Amino acid sequence: MKDLTVIETILRDRKNFFQEIREGKGLAEKMRAMLVSSVAFFALYGAVMGSSHSLWQALSSAAKLPLLFLATLVVCAPTLYFFNLNFGSNQSLSQNVALMLTTITVTSVLLLSFAPVVTFFLLTTSQYQFFKLLNVGVFTISGIVGVTFLSYGMRIVSYGGGESVRARRTVVWLWIILYAFVGSQMAWTLRPFVGAPGLPFELFRQLGGNFYANIFASIGEVLGFVTVR
Amino acid sequence: MRDERDDRLDQLLDLLAEEVAERLRGSSSLAGQPLERGALIDETAERLEEEMPSAPSEPEPRPEPVPEPPLAAEEPVEPEPEELEERPGLESPPSPPAPRHTARLLGRLALGLLALVVLINIPINRHGTTLATAMPDTRAMVIRDGLVVKEEDDPEIYVYQDGRFRWISSLTAFEMRGHTWEDVHVVEDGFLDPFEIGPAIHVLLKCPDSPHIYRLEAEEKRWIVDIEAFEDEGHVWEDVQSVPCAYLRDLPDGETIPPGHGPPPQP
Repeated sequence: MKDLTVIETILRDRKNFFQEIREGKGLAEKMRAMLVSSVAFFALYGAVMGSSHSLWQALSSAAKLPLLFLATLVVCAPTLYFFNLNFGSNQSLSQNVALMLTTITVTSVLLLSFAPVVTFFLLTTSQYQFFKLLNVGVFTISGIVGVTFLSYGMRIVSYGGGESVRARRTVVWLWIILYAFVGSQMAWTLRPFVGAPGLPFELFRQLGGNFYANIFASIGEVLGFVTVR
Repeated sequence: MRDERDDRLDQLLDLLAEEVAERLRGSSSLAGQPLERGALIDETAERLEEEMPSAPSEPEPRPEPVPEPPLAAEEPVEPEPEELEERPGLESPPSPPAPRHTARLLGRLALGLLALVVLINIPINRHGTTLATAMPDTRAMVIRDGLVVKEEDDPEIYVYQDGRFRWISSLTAFEMRGHTWEDVHVVEDGFLDPFEIGPAIHVLLKCPDSPHIYRLEAEEKRWIVDIEAFEDEGHVWEDVQSVPCAYLRDLPDGETIPPGHGPPPQP
């Protein structure tokens, strides 16, 4: 429960929270608390997603969803740090990681808040493509809100850096696009998270196709234009 | 010295603003028009700042400190940095303290969801159906290689392979391909109509003491009369399974392949 208070601080008192990150106050504790709570929330949401297929899929998705976000963070963290450094930032890598963990934590909280809605649709509808698109929508909304926290936090943490502040803001937004691309490809690599009905449980599916083509195909099937094969 | 004067002026202005706001609120409440306290204080303070730009030349006695209204244990919510940047030197009044129960609520939500996930994954019948998978899944199916379906009023079972559905001609073939009854998705009649139907999947049987090869079809053995017929049917030697001759003899005879070659030889 103690770790969850960090979420309350982020949501209610974000300015002070980011200022403490800027000053390097309690970075390790903050990062640990954010890591623990976000992993727990992602795992829960993953279990809800996977329940549409089987218990094994629920367990698999509960393990893979935290992995998805943390792996994306690990892949993208050096880019943000070194680009910021290049534009005059004096932040440490820990501060950058703390900011990214804030993004992930906010995303996880929003996903958790969507979980009852997703469970409702899981129990009352049977169309796989609809359920998949519903989850894509939920992830998109939660992710966008999460990265706006990163942008806001970066403004506070890098405040007073002189002329390069504007350049660093641009870097942050470019990094957010990169984060979205890496995240979607990572999700495609680690799929399935929902599990296709009619197919046996599989931990990972063979590579092939791509995330965006699959989403368009799903939209096509939901609207009745094509059958996904 | 100058800073001290500014501080006093600020305090004086704050007190005046509070007082004017209180009076205005009283009068507007009487008139049935409640006003926002924060907005009123801001407005009044701005007006007073404009009207009293110069500080008094002589230091005035410091006013008595006004006791703060008792707050709950929580700190007031701070204004957004953008607002402060827009109006430097003028801080918004503190909002009423928000109740701090988010952490507890999140914890309860997480526990509740955990319980729900467990609940919807508990099997509710002997086939292992759970609440989460209880909805009929015909429309939910993804047509992919390996999908096994059976139309409601048709005993034939089909498997999807390479873009078409193929009939599995016997129970032996079904089992030899590693399928189980749990894999079979019962779909509505006519489901297969829009799909291409490929060649059937057969099991070819042979016993060690006989040179003849038989095709198992609807639990009957059909003798393949020669190599030419064997190849014409698209079979390959890898499809041939060896079984005991007694088992083959016990199977009823079906029509030969190709038809019209009389009674088949027994293995």
